[in-house]
Amino acid sequence: MKKLERRAALCLVLAGFLLAGLAVFLFRFAADGSRWASSPFNRHLYSSEGVLISGTVLDRDGDVLSTVEGGKRVYTDGKTRRKATLHVVGDPYGNISTGALSAFGQKLTGYTLLGGAFGAEEGSDLYLTIDADLNEVAYQALNGKKGTVAVYNYQTGEVLCLVSTPTYDPRNIPKDLETNEAYEGAYLNRFLSSTFTPGSVFKTVTLAAALECIPNLEGRTWTCEGSVQMGDGVVTCTGAHGEQTIRDALANSCNVVFGQLAVELGGGMLERYAQKAGLTASYSVSGIHTAKGSFDFGGDLSQSELAWAGVGQYHDSVNPCALMVYMGVIANGGKAATPCLIQKVERPGLPALPQFTRSTGRLLSEETAEKVADMMVNNVAAAYGTKRFPNMDLGAKSGTAEVGADQKPHAWFAGFLRDEDHPYAFVVLVENGGSGADVAGTVASKVLKAAVQ
Amino acid sequence: MEKFCLSLQTGMDCLLAFADQHPQAVEWYFALVRFVFPLLALLILIRAIRGLLRVPHAAECWGQLALPGGGSLPIFHWENILGRASSADVRLDLPTVSRQHAALIRNDRGEWLVTDLGSKGGTLVNGLPVTGPTALRMGDALSIGGVELLFLPLSREEEEALAARRRSEAPLPMWPSLLWLTLFQILAALQLVLRQEEPSVLCPLTFGALSVVMWLYYLVLRGAGARGFEMETIAFFLSTLSLAITGSSAPGAMVKQLAAVVLGVLLMVALGIWMRDGDRIQKLRWLMAALAIGLLSVTLVIGKTKFGAANWIILGPLSFQPSELAKIFYIFAGAAGLERLFRKRNLGLFMVMTGVCLLCLALMSDFGTACIFFATFLVIAYLRSGDFATLSLICGGASFAGVLVLNFKPYILRRFASWGHAWEAASTTGYQQTRAMSAAASGGLVGVGAGNGWLCRIPAADTDLVFGMLCEEWGLLIAVLAVLSIITLALFAARACRVSRSAFPTIAACAAGSLLVVQTGLNVFGAVDLLPLTGVTFPFLSNGGSAMMASWGLLAFLKATDTREGASFAIRKSKKSQGKEVSGHEKA
Repeated sequence: MKKLERRAALCLVLAGFLLAGLAVFLFRFAADGSRWASSPFNRHLYSSEGVLISGTVLDRDGDVLSTVEGGKRVYTDGKTRRKATLHVVGDPYGNISTGALSAFGQKLTGYTLLGGAFGAEEGSDLYLTIDADLNEVAYQALNGKKGTVAVYNYQTGEVLCLVSTPTYDPRNIPKDLETNEAYEGAYLNRFLSSTFTPGSVFKTVTLAAALECIPNLEGRTWTCEGSVQMGDGVVTCTGAHGEQTIRDALANSCNVVFGQLAVELGGGMLERYAQKAGLTASYSVSGIHTAKGSFDFGGDLSQSELAWAGVGQYHDSVNPCALMVYMGVIANGGKAATPCLIQKVERPGLPALPQFTRSTGRLLSEETAEKVADMMVNNVAAAYGTKRFPNMDLGAKSGTAEVGADQKPHAWFAGFLRDEDHPYAFVVLVENGGSGADVAGTVASKVLKAAVQ
Repeated sequence: MEKFCLSLQTGMDCLLAFADQHPQAVEWYFALVRFVFPLLALLILIRAIRGLLRVPHAAECWGQLALPGGGSLPIFHWENILGRASSADVRLDLPTVSRQHAALIRNDRGEWLVTDLGSKGGTLVNGLPVTGPTALRMGDALSIGGVELLFLPLSREEEEALAARRRSEAPLPMWPSLLWLTLFQILAALQLVLRQEEPSVLCPLTFGALSVVMWLYYLVLRGAGARGFEMETIAFFLSTLSLAITGSSAPGAMVKQLAAVVLGVLLMVALGIWMRDGDRIQKLRWLMAALAIGLLSVTLVIGKTKFGAANWIILGPLSFQPSELAKIFYIFAGAAGLERLFRKRNLGLFMVMTGVCLLCLALMSDFGTACIFFATFLVIAYLRSGDFATLSLICGGASFAGVLVLNFKPYILRRFASWGHAWEAASTTGYQQTRAMSAAASGGLVGVGAGNGWLCRIPAADTDLVFGMLCEEWGLLIAVLAVLSIITLALFAARACRVSRSAFPTIAACAAGSLLVVQTGLNVFGAVDLLPLTGVTFPFLSNGGSAMMASWGLLAFLKATDTREGASFAIRKSKKSQGKEVSGHEKA
């Protein structure tokens, strides 16, 4: 019988396997359970069409953008409003994965891993930080062009305006959405999920590096003759800028000066400052991860390639959101709040949970940030025209990013307001829009005027 | 009866009218009661699990062998090996004693027999050499390899001490758990009635009947002197969940499910009482083997295909799965195939029988059940032979055969193709698993409430995917508790070996415990994509009459190892056997 007793351990081993398997299941349940529940076939949270069954999305003023009426998901009235807010609200079928209906689906239904889907049909009220009116202004300012506009408060992190185009009306989804070239990339939120060649807006990074690494930068002068031979290549400007200080060079967006500075700094240093500026990292915007920018400052670049990389061309690519945060960092003395999209979530019968502001940490020294900010404010007076931005203490940098010989360049305009009441940073990108200062600057002007009103 | 139904119907109509008037109250009930269920489940199960795991396992002492120089060796089992080996039950560490020298066996009539196991030194009783099984009476002189031993009964003091100790090991009273379970049943019935679209009086009626059956069982057996009810509590709890799940997925099948529980309880009691007689088991083992094979081959011939496997026999309105009941006969035949502990360990016939069973199951494409049979075979074979090498070879051979089968019938592989990648095939081969996982994750810790789930609309939700349904409607806590209950049964079987009297109940209990564990594992892990979905049932829980009856039947094997004083109906009460020993005394 003693033998049997020993052999019966086999029974224990089998029970042990079952227990271990149960532990593995519990681990996977904890790790992936929320994802399992977020399947469109989960009838606790989604209708038979795969549409979220409950939850109301509102803007910061409490205007309803999308809700459920009689079991159907409906959107706000006003075609322009629907189109302007589509990418923050999301489409009904989850194609726009960064929209609130997808990305914040669990907050809208009140689903939690431990609480389950009980009561999900009641839903929550989710207030976005977005001002729908401002979005409409931005959408109209883009005037049908592809691109993105965003404004955020660099002290609280609230994104006030976020438009991405091309967009469409979720109430009358166009039949040729998937085939028509005009809608190409309509499911993409360009602000969060895309990267673009930055062009001259990247000079703000090269400038920060030069200010910190090159002694007596502000005492030096350069002469621009319209182009300069660097190694076996040429770096060209839009014109001959003549003799200029670093301040003038930024206002003129002089490639000759910044190209030379880039070579002087070297690829390693530029890479470090692009990283420090947060352009190569991904931000979590209320849980949505932004696209990472990328650069090629590698060791075997020729002098001219490095020079072009230093003025935002070559293989540089930047995410608009990361650039906007960098603008906030410059304005805010070296660090800023990371952007967020959710103002509050209200569930019937439960207190609203507070939302916390998170900071980027220090990206620039206070001194450098202040110097860059001053020079960017100077840009407006010297190059862009204060009349276009009345009563604003505005700092900005334009960019006209070459994206190929057969295409018009991308137009960028990014900057900030130094204004206690309106501590906003912004970014405007018009794809193949042409001149940054002209095209994107005009969009920015319209949006900022509406934002400070 | 009709009157009773009528009054129940009126009561239910009143309740529903109240619910219509006060929808807020119903909402409150749903919101509150889902936290009450896990709490009740804990109250019910913790007591039962603790009762089974804290079984003190004080060995029963059946006598002793006095040594010539004073001192004595106790005899703890009904089947003992005397020898030098460390695994011997009565150890005589002397060079003249063989490793396994002799066997000392007590039969059901309380007579002791000694058998020589081919020792070198020889065995003598009262100076006469032992050739065949030789009776050993009180005060007989037993010589083992030249060591003179005196066979003695327990002294009066020892007997009293043993009796006192066994009394102190009385099982925990289970009536508190059963009371909680009754409350659980009432609340579950209420929840289902309020949830069902067309509430039927059958729902509260079946729950009530289950309650009555449970208390009848308890009172009748308690009246007959039985005291251990832990395993039955677990089984009744799981059966209650089974009724609730059936009520949510197929309300029409609730009566059938209840009938299966009643038949299962009767089957368990009948088997247990039948197993009291060890000789009967030995005599009928061929019949058992024939029944197991017969059931499977009949199914093979006239079986109909339902849900992918041709393992159903349909007789008019009745349809059942004989392979479920075959499990019981298989364990019977396998565990009893060995004539007591010490005879030849020939596994040949058992292997042939297993081979035939597996072949039948494979031809029916019932690979889940085949897996369960094979795992049970390994447990029984290992317990019987302890031969690790042979069993490893058999495992190797089996996997080789498996690969061969897959080579010739590649369509089987397709069923398992999505294993581990269910989410990548969510609309094809991973359809059921992904639905089960998604529904499970929607339940949270306490579930969305019985009748509130959607998984029940997916095919096989209340059988193969029942774990997903349990998680969804009853919550992760109750689902985990259900699995832990099954694990407890296996742990109990393994630990009971220490105090078991003879080989058959030990092997049978370990086999039954392992079978339940393997089946649970295949069901749970199949539903959540940790193993291929093989379509086996969760013991006691899945909707299905044959499976329910088989689960209860298997419980009889576990009851047969519960040697606590008066704990189990499957073991003769010690009063009787003591009486016999006393008479043996007098004879001596």
